[in-house]
Amino acid sequence: MVEAKNLCMKYDKGKHNAIENISFSIGRAEFVFFVGSSGAGKSTILRLIIREVKPNDGSLKVFGRDVARLPRHRLPYLRRNIGMVFQDFRLMEERSVYDNVAFAMVVIGSSRKEIRRRVPHVLSLVGLKDKAKSKIMDLSGGEQQRVGLARAIANRPAMIIADEPTGNLDQGTALDIMNLLRSINLRGTTVLVATHNREIVERFKKRVLYLDNGKLVGDEQKGIYTNVH
Amino acid sequence: MFISGFGYILGETFKGLYRNRWMCITSTGVVAVTLLMLGLFMLVNLNVSHITETVKEQVEIVVYIDEDADQATLNQLRDKLGSHDQVSEVDYVSSDEHMSRLQRQLGGMLEGYDTNLENPLLASYEIRTVVPEAVVSLAEEFEEYPGVSAVFYGQGYVEDLFALTNVVQVIGLGLMAGLSITAVFLISHTIKLTVMMRKREITIMKYVGATNWFIRWPFILEGLLMGFVGSIVPIAILYYVYEAVIEWAVMSEFVFVSLLPLEMVIIELAIYLVPLGTALGILGSTFSMGRFLRV
Repeated sequence: MVEAKNLCMKYDKGKHNAIENISFSIGRAEFVFFVGSSGAGKSTILRLIIREVKPNDGSLKVFGRDVARLPRHRLPYLRRNIGMVFQDFRLMEERSVYDNVAFAMVVIGSSRKEIRRRVPHVLSLVGLKDKAKSKIMDLSGGEQQRVGLARAIANRPAMIIADEPTGNLDQGTALDIMNLLRSINLRGTTVLVATHNREIVERFKKRVLYLDNGKLVGDEQKGIYTNVH
Repeated sequence: MFISGFGYILGETFKGLYRNRWMCITSTGVVAVTLLMLGLFMLVNLNVSHITETVKEQVEIVVYIDEDADQATLNQLRDKLGSHDQVSEVDYVSSDEHMSRLQRQLGGMLEGYDTNLENPLLASYEIRTVVPEAVVSLAEEFEEYPGVSAVFYGQGYVEDLFALTNVVQVIGLGLMAGLSITAVFLISHTIKLTVMMRKREITIMKYVGATNWFIRWPFILEGLLMGFVGSIVPIAILYYVYEAVIEWAVMSEFVFVSLLPLEMVIIELAIYLVPLGTALGILGSTFSMGRFLRV
């Protein structure tokens, strides 16, 4: 699914190394945590995967294609296969829950019939069936992140990328969201989560890639956060 | 897919306008006010150049005929003037006609003048030129023709008039260019602000895999509508204002001021303002979106 070889990425015109010589491979239906302190390079890897930024060196294959060589007009099609979940939710606040989820489907040209069938289904998966008509701004943080999740899975992506999905949530709500991600993973979707929420990483016992100062310092199945810190 | 995509784009355009209605009303208002100022100035400028053209057209050359010239010379002179390519009109005025004009002008002061006495006034040709500005050089040319006694074209006054009308036109064009540039900046910046307010929306579209054109179209159509409405409003206002001005000019019997006809002026304004407003709306939207699309 994702294959990185000697991946390097520099910011500030090459002065600052965001990630340095990183290699890893992630298979289908895996659940992987990227952990490390702020600035360790977690988000950079996720941004590289969706080709928001390009690597300076090395190669990164996503779904078997070298993303650095992907022409700009092909980017939307790469992203349609990746559901994104953000720390700040990134929802359209003035629109309804239903509209936010439907939007992701409208964008890729799904039929109205398909949208009407699929949106209530994904909303029930995240436990928001009764809130379809609510405006985003009237929801709690946890509910907003559920909408973010529903939007991410609406198009049945092969992979979900979540950048600090629980960063703005209390511990209980964070666990709910992570459980949802786990159930999505159990249906066969690859899930990549960047986080520094120690408790969650320890509780879920999934594969962990440890990053420190742009370098990959550990890669463990059923890893525990405290191995490094 | 294309049809549903097109339907989506149209739907999104109107939804976008509704959701951001205050910003859109403000933007349209800025477009309208800016173009109203530009249009008002164009209106004045068009009429000023019309009036100066009318004044210029009244300039003519009077060629006085030498009374000692023989008939052959006179015929030759008439033919030469009549066939000159810079001359649009030649009228013969006999010495008797000059006398009666003089009598009219002096309001009967010459009454009792003995018509049997020799008329001292010279016969003349009154000449209109194709280009008013050519009178000075043509007058010099005509002076050399055989059978010409003197040439008069309002020496001194005409040169001043032409200089003045030139200055008026240059100032008018300069101010209009300045106002147009101001309009371009004001409108494109306002539209840019409208798009910036929706940066979040555009970024989200990018993340869920929308193509750039899919994102662009609703914004372009919104810009087009804002620009179009923003240019129609000032034209409608100027229509009624100008109609009132014409009525006022007629009522006040300003016969010496000939204003351009209403329809002609409004069409002229629409030809400039509607494409300008619409194009600025479209370009403003397209360019301000560019940076958000590069995610």
